[in-house]
Amino acid sequence: MLRAALTIAKKDIYSELRTKQVLGTMIIFAGLVILVLSFAFDPANNTTKAVIPGAVWIIIVFSGILGLNRSLVSEQRNDTMHGLLVAPMDASSIYLGKFMANFSMILIVEIVSIPFLFLLFDFKITGSILYFLLVLFVGSFGFIAIGTFLAALASNSKSSEMLLPLLLFPMTSPVLIGVTQATKIILTNMEKLSTALSWMQLVAAYDVIFFVLCFLLIEYVLEV
Amino acid sequence: MGFMYAAYSVVWVIIFGYMLLIGKRHNSLKKDIEFLKQLDR
Amino acid sequence: MSMNLEREKAPLPIVDLATVKSSMLTKILYGGMVVSMLAAFYFIFMYAEVEKTMGVVQKIFYMHVPSAWVAFLAFFVTFVFSILFLIKRKRIYDTYAYVSAEIGVVFTAIVLTTGPIWAKSSWNTWWAWEPRLTTTLILFFLFMAYLMVRQMDGVWDKKARLAAVFGIIGFADVPIVFFAIRWWQSKFHPIVFGDGPSQEGGGISPSMLVALLVTIAAFTFLYAYILHKGVSFENMKIKVGHYKEKLREKLEN
Repeated sequence: MLRAALTIAKKDIYSELRTKQVLGTMIIFAGLVILVLSFAFDPANNTTKAVIPGAVWIIIVFSGILGLNRSLVSEQRNDTMHGLLVAPMDASSIYLGKFMANFSMILIVEIVSIPFLFLLFDFKITGSILYFLLVLFVGSFGFIAIGTFLAALASNSKSSEMLLPLLLFPMTSPVLIGVTQATKIILTNMEKLSTALSWMQLVAAYDVIFFVLCFLLIEYVLEV
Repeated sequence: MGFMYAAYSVVWVIIFGYMLLIGKRHNSLKKDIEFLKQLDR
Repeated sequence: MSMNLEREKAPLPIVDLATVKSSMLTKILYGGMVVSMLAAFYFIFMYAEVEKTMGVVQKIFYMHVPSAWVAFLAFFVTFVFSILFLIKRKRIYDTYAYVSAEIGVVFTAIVLTTGPIWAKSSWNTWWAWEPRLTTTLILFFLFMAYLMVRQMDGVWDKKARLAAVFGIIGFADVPIVFFAIRWWQSKFHPIVFGDGPSQEGGGISPSMLVALLVTIAAFTFLYAYILHKGVSFENMKIKVGHYKEKLREKLEN
């Protein structure tokens, strides 16, 4: 089953690398969000530093939604979804494969856009980069896990771009709360590291619970 | 004190509003049924 | 003209929908609801004592908490019927889930409006980021999301299936949301348990407890009654829909 999932992940990633269309759109969109944030909050002002942890996750969430939506809706063209379902693999492999592809894409977007954010806001990290990367990983994992699942659900609707955010935002609120708190501590205030670690444990628990749940329930979503 | 009256009135306005909404649905369904009955005569 | 004494074309089966059938259950629910509501009002306004610090305003509590109880109950019911639907695939389960979700929205709205009114009157702030209220806010959005999935274009069984899946995931999310927010709040605004707009533990006198329990019972009856009526209504609507379909087919032939 893992092999089937990897095949799907590779297919998605290769077809994306050929046109780089969605990845490009996600990165540009992230850049635009950063721009808008710099208009909304004065970058020169010191108190704006407090906004940065939240801004990191706003960028990830909004560009993530773009990528998630496309990753499932693209299977509607030429009805390739039926092809996938008929192939000798579980629905769970499809979920796993799409998850891996989406996860890699969001990581790429993060690697490009977050340094850009720090640059524009002249943000000096007074914390640990290692833990920051860990938070990004754990948070994005949960977000993409539930995001891929809900994108599959929403793709059944004609207005999937509108439906997906509606479904995704309430569902991922624990992740967002945990991850912004942890990021804030890790980037600015390293003494409270234990608190940050507790928050990350909460997010990790969410990741595990919902990854398993989505894995089990995906067959009901992808039924023919 | 006024707050309490506000709260209770809000609660009951919402509940009765919902009842009215259901009543409207009932009525339109009834009209539908009457119309269909007519058609079938 | 046919010598056949029957009508030449067989009549379409007319469902006798002129009157809402009043079954035993409806009568019980209606009666229970009326009785418990009247009792609740008596207990709230005559029996329970007036709170020392907040005064009469505290009586909002008797609407706020039972509504929250019903809102969560409604979502739980949606959750249970979502699971039942995915396993058994009977339409009635989906109908119960859907109607319960709709009622849940109504009561969540009540919680979210009485909450700020109470907060303003006691803590002089329209909103408090306290765990129960914020969880209810997220619950509201989850309900909305469920209803939006239900409103999708398409065949009923696809919508029902997808909505059921969302009902299950959404309900699983609620406890996690609650703990996340409670944690979030305690780190920054240490709320002594029992303090805050939704106080319950610590400092509730017996007479208030009785009033609260009676009102919870009353609201539960109200919920059950509306659910029952709502489901019978949806069933009627489905029957009428089928009838219209048959009529359409007949006309096309």
